[in-house]
Amino acid sequence: MRVHIKLTGALYANILRDLMRPHPFAAERVGFVFGRMGSLVDGSLILLTRYHSIPDDQYIEDHTVGARIGAEALTWAMQAVYHGRPAREGIFHIHLHGHRGETGMSETDQREIPRLIPGFQSVGRNAGHGIIILSLDHGSGWVWMPGVIEPAHVSRVSVIGAPIAVFERRRSE
Amino acid sequence: MSKDRYSRQSFLGADSEDLISRCTIGVPGLGGGGSHVIQQLAHIGFQRYVLYDHDLVEESNLNRLVGAALIDALAETPKLHLAKEMIYGLQPNASVQGFACKWQERPEPLRECQVVIGCVDSYKARQELEIACRRYLIHYIDIGMDVHGKEKPVIGGQIIQSSPGGLCMSCMGFLTDEKLAAEAARYGNAGHRPQVIWPNGVLASTAVGLAVDLVTNWTRSGRSHTYLAYDGNEGTVRESLTLRNLSIKNCPHFPDDELGDPVLVEL
Repeated sequence: MRVHIKLTGALYANILRDLMRPHPFAAERVGFVFGRMGSLVDGSLILLTRYHSIPDDQYIEDHTVGARIGAEALTWAMQAVYHGRPAREGIFHIHLHGHRGETGMSETDQREIPRLIPGFQSVGRNAGHGIIILSLDHGSGWVWMPGVIEPAHVSRVSVIGAPIAVFERRRSE
Repeated sequence: MSKDRYSRQSFLGADSEDLISRCTIGVPGLGGGGSHVIQQLAHIGFQRYVLYDHDLVEESNLNRLVGAALIDALAETPKLHLAKEMIYGLQPNASVQGFACKWQERPEPLRECQVVIGCVDSYKARQELEIACRRYLIHYIDIGMDVHGKEKPVIGGQIIQSSPGGLCMSCMGFLTDEKLAAEAARYGNAGHRPQVIWPNGVLASTAVGLAVDLVTNWTRSGRSHTYLAYDGNEGTVRESLTLRNLSIKNCPHFPDDELGDPVLVEL
């Protein structure tokens, strides 16, 4: 299944600005971004609507990972998924890898982040949820569509701003 | 193919060829305006197209339909076929999704676009395209021309960029309830308006220029919206007076979260 993510230039700039801010102790920042679904001929669109910056005090000090968020941030996310149910609005864990070019999940990312998805799916059954990782000039994503256990790798991320940016998946993993 | 092919447009940026080739562009309406648009996009190097037109070439199209010959009117060639021929003649590896129908009958392919250049006739059609573009996060560029008066004809037209997050065609004073109501009173029929090739060329060229700027950012203008008015008697394109005098800063018509497929909410 093909998945294409779109977001406005303003939202993209807002996300990058927030994720690039240094944290008092965490090595990186994470956030949540929300997305609604659109149908394509042979796949789905995820249209990102808004971004939630996780407050500094909702991070847990853990130097084995770049960033770890606590129960308060996760509870907030679950509640947001619950409230987004009527609009079939899903939630996406998002963070930034500070390099250029296409990026992917690190071993830590693969181990830690997908564990959040079943919880999101159990609350928001009819929405697509997932993971987005940005680099300084690219972006990758994985989307768990409703009722699906395995994620679809996002084939394209389009930033609809001035200028337009189109990040396409070239890696096969 | 020689590397010289795009050397004369290298000022668009070192990576412009790549940026242009990755953009998916939609063109509903392949008549007088759309045929110019397609020709220019193909010359520039666009590779991904979503096209719509259900019309066949008629003799009355030959005064302005770029690429059409007398034989096409006799053979009733689909306008879509002419557009594809134009594209493949210049870009043999292009991906063209073409539909001989109204875009509303096959809306899904349009949703993948980053830019749509609307070459449609009526206000209602413009409104519907803009709504779709906002819901699925697409830059919408609208072109249109008209001739007013018979004693002393005046050619006018517009090129409008309506982008997600920016002012829309209603905010910019182009789409109004009065215009839509007047058109609806004629049962939505825009009628056979006078059309000539040179204003269509000006409007299409300006629209393509806006699209290329959105993709390559060569002017660094970062436009969130644009309303340019064409005066065909004076031969000028200027920022619309309506837009210049506008006090509104944010669009109230398209909230940021009204995206994607509409969902029925149980009350």
